[in-house]
Amino acid sequence: MEILDKLINVALIAATLRTTAPILLVALGGSFTTKAGIFNIGLEGQMLVGAFFAVIGSIWTGSAFAGVACGVAAALAFALAFAVLVVTFRANEVVVGLALNILAGGMTISLMKAIFGTRGSIVGHGIVGLPKVQIPGAQALLGSWAPLISGFTPIVYVAFIAVPLLVLFYNRTRLGLYIRVVGEKPEAAEALGISITRVRYIASLLCGLLAGLAGAHLSLGYITMFTENMSSGRGFMAVAILIFSNGDPLKVLAGCLLFGFADAFSLRLQTFGFPSYLVLTVPYVVALTALFALSYRARPKIIKETLASMQKLLSVDRNSAPVDKNPQ
Amino acid sequence: MSNAPGSPPPQNTAAMAVELAAITKRFGAFIANDGIDLAVRRGEIHAIIGENGAGKTTLMNILFGLLQPDEGSIRLNGEPTVVADPAAAIKAGLGMVHQHFKLVPSLSVADNVFLGMEIRRHGLIDHAAQIARTHELSKRFGLHVDPTERVGLLSVGIEQRIEILKVLVRGARTIILDEPTAVLTPQESRELFQTLRSFVAEGMTVIFISHHLEEVMEVSDTVTVLRNGRKVATRPTSELSKDELVRMMVGREVSFDRRPRAQLHGDAVLEVKDLWARDDRRLPAVRGASFTVRAGEVVGIAGVAGNGQTELAEVLSGLRPASHGEAWLKGQDLTTLSPAAIRETGLAHVPGDRMVRGVDRNASIAANTLMGRQHRGPWSRGGVLDWKAIAGNAGALIKSFDIRAQGSGDAVKRLSGGNIQKVVLAREFTNGADFLLIDQPTRGVDIGAQEAIHDEIMRQRAAGRAILLISVQLDELAALADRILVMFNGRIMGEVAGDDADEDRIGMMMAGVSPELEPAQ
Repeated sequence: MEILDKLINVALIAATLRTTAPILLVALGGSFTTKAGIFNIGLEGQMLVGAFFAVIGSIWTGSAFAGVACGVAAALAFALAFAVLVVTFRANEVVVGLALNILAGGMTISLMKAIFGTRGSIVGHGIVGLPKVQIPGAQALLGSWAPLISGFTPIVYVAFIAVPLLVLFYNRTRLGLYIRVVGEKPEAAEALGISITRVRYIASLLCGLLAGLAGAHLSLGYITMFTENMSSGRGFMAVAILIFSNGDPLKVLAGCLLFGFADAFSLRLQTFGFPSYLVLTVPYVVALTALFALSYRARPKIIKETLASMQKLLSVDRNSAPVDKNPQ
Repeated sequence: MSNAPGSPPPQNTAAMAVELAAITKRFGAFIANDGIDLAVRRGEIHAIIGENGAGKTTLMNILFGLLQPDEGSIRLNGEPTVVADPAAAIKAGLGMVHQHFKLVPSLSVADNVFLGMEIRRHGLIDHAAQIARTHELSKRFGLHVDPTERVGLLSVGIEQRIEILKVLVRGARTIILDEPTAVLTPQESRELFQTLRSFVAEGMTVIFISHHLEEVMEVSDTVTVLRNGRKVATRPTSELSKDELVRMMVGREVSFDRRPRAQLHGDAVLEVKDLWARDDRRLPAVRGASFTVRAGEVVGIAGVAGNGQTELAEVLSGLRPASHGEAWLKGQDLTTLSPAAIRETGLAHVPGDRMVRGVDRNASIAANTLMGRQHRGPWSRGGVLDWKAIAGNAGALIKSFDIRAQGSGDAVKRLSGGNIQKVVLAREFTNGADFLLIDQPTRGVDIGAQEAIHDEIMRQRAAGRAILLISVQLDELAALADRILVMFNGRIMGEVAGDDADEDRIGMMMAGVSPELEPAQ
C-alpha cells in the first residue's frame, strides 16, 4: 500500500502530463492528415528535425521561442516535401514517409557532426530552454495539487488546449469539414468542387506545424538538449494511436494519456530499483495491450473467427484422443 | 432583356423545360448517343427507358454537363444553353440524382445536404439553421429524414432522399433521376413516386431514367424509349401498353433464323430447385427458380436485363451465395461449393462481363487459355509450368476456334471483342465440363464472330453438353435454344419451346404478365 502511495501521487500525474504532451502534439498533427485520408508515417521524422532545428535556432538566436520557430519551420519543410511527393506526384505514402524518416535520422546526425563535431548529443553550447509557466494563484487555489496545472513549459499547455480547438475545428469550420470529406469520401468532395489537392496540402502543413512544435518541446521543453534519434518512436506510437482513434481529437487524447502515463510510470519504477530494461518496456506493453483490446472490439469478426477455428482445432484433438485410447 | 413589371420572367413562358436536338456522343468507335432529340415539357414526369447500354445515362450526363456532346444542341427553358459543367447545369436550375450516391457517412444528414454551401454564422457552421432548413424541405416534399442522424447509419433509400434534398437545396427546378428505383425496396419506390408527384404539383419537372416497365407505366406522363443509342419514340404513357413498351425496348426486328438440330434426349445434368438469392443490396434477386437442363439441350433464359439473370449465373458458378434452395450437378449441390470446386465438378462458365471475369486483358492468349487448369498436367509438371505445351495447346485452340491473332503470345487486350470472347470459349469449352453456363455470349461482338460463336455453341450441344444460355437478345435465344425460360423480377414466368418461340408471348412474360402464372406483384 505504502509503495502504491509512493508510486501514484500528484508528481506522477504531473509527469504523465509532461510525457503526454509531445506525443499528443504530434498525434494531433497526424490527425489532420489522417482525417484528410493520408497515412502519414513520416511524423517521426518531422518531429526529429523539429527537435534538432529548435536546438540549433535556440543556440543561434539565444531565444527559446525563435528556436521553436526554427524547429517548426524545419518540420514544415519536411511536411511540404511529403505533400509534394504524396499529393502531387502520388507516390506511395508509406515509402515516402519512411524515406523522410530515414533522411531525418541521418541528416540530424551528420549535421550534428558537421556543426558541433560530436556524435550522440548536443548539450550546453548555450541552448536556451523554454521557460516554465507559473500560473498565478495556482498554489493558493489547489494547494498541493498545483503542479497539475502550473509549472509546465508553454508547449504543454498548447498541446492540451489544442484538443478542444481541434474538436471545434472539425465540427464547426468549413476547412475542418472539408478535410473530413476529402479523407472519407473524395468523390463527394470532387462532385462538390472541393479541391482535394489543396485540402491535402493544407492538412499536411498543419500536421508539420504541430509535429514541429512537438519536436521543439522534446529538445527545449521536456529536456534542454538534443540527442540522436531523440523522438525515439513517439511518431510511430502516434501513428498507432491515429489508426485506432481515426484521428478523433478526444480519442487521440485518451490514447496519448495512456501512453504518457505508462511512460511516466516506468520512470517512477526505475527510481524504485526495478531493472531499467524491463521497466522501459512498460509503455510499449501497455500500448500493445490497449491496442489489442481496441482492435478486438473494432475487428471482432476476424479475431473471433480465429479463436473459433483454434477452438475447433483443439476440440478435434480432444475428441480424437479418447478414440486412440479405446481401440475397438 | 427587359423586366417590365407585370410581365412574367421569360423562363416561365417556355413550355419546354429541356430540349435536346440531335445529340450525338461517341466513345471511340462506339456511338453511345446517335442523333437523339428529346423534349421535356415543364411540369411533367418524363421517363427515359431502355435496356442497359441503350444510352440513357450518357444522354443525361450530357444534359447535366458531365459530358460534352460531339454534335447537337441544348435548350433549357427555351434558351439555347451550353452546359459546360455541372456547376453551369445547377445554375440553370437542373439537378441530378446519380445512381451512385456521394454522401459522407460520418456526417449528419443536414451536413451532407449543405456540404459545399454551408450556412455560416461568425465564420462557424450554423448547424441549427442547416437542420431547420433540411427539416422544412423534407416535410414539404415528403422526404422523411432525421436531419441530425449520421448518414452512415441510414439505409440506401434514405440516402437517396438526402441526395434529392441536396439537389433541392441548390434550387433545382428540373430534377434528373438516374435509375432511382434500382436501389429501393417496393415501398420506398412508392414513396419516391409520391415525392416526384409533389414536385410536379409545385411546377417542377422530373426526368426519370429506368429500365423497369412497371414503374414507368405507374409514374410517368411521357415515355421516351432509347435503344442502342437511338431514340425509338416519345409517347404519352397513357397511350402505351407494357407489351408495346417491351417491344420498343428490345427491338422489333427479331430475326428467327433457327439453327437446325437433331432432337437429343439426354439425362438431366443440372437440376435447380427453388433457388433464391439476394443481390448486392441484400434484396431478393432470384426468387424461387426451378428448372432442369438435360444433356444435349440448350435452355435459354430470356428477360430484360436486371431481372435476376446475373445473380442466377453467379449463384450457379459459386460467385454468390444462395439464400435458399439447391442446384444439383452430378450429385453435388453447387450452392455448397466454392467456385473452384464447382469447376472441378463439371461447370464451364462463360461470364457475362468477359473483361472482368472472362480474361486477364494484360496476359497473353496462351496464359488466358491456361487459367483455371494451371495446376493440372500436362501444363504443369511438379509445380512448374510447361510453357511450350501451353503455347502449343493455345496455338491449336487459336486454329480450331478461329481466333484472329498474331500468335499465342499476343496480349488479349489487343484483340477485338469477338476474338476475346472466342478465347474465353476456347478455354471453357475444352475443359471437359458437362454443363456450360453461357452468359451473354455475343454482347458487343460483331456479326461474323456472332455466327462463329453460335456455331460453336451448337457443336457443344451436339457433343451432348447441357447448356444454360442467358441472353437479353431474343433472336439469339430463338436461334439456339431448345426451351426458353423467361425471367421477370427474379421469377421464372414461364417456358416457351424454342421451336415455336413467339415474340409476343415472350414479350408479355418479360413485362411480367404470364398466361400460366399469376402476374407478379
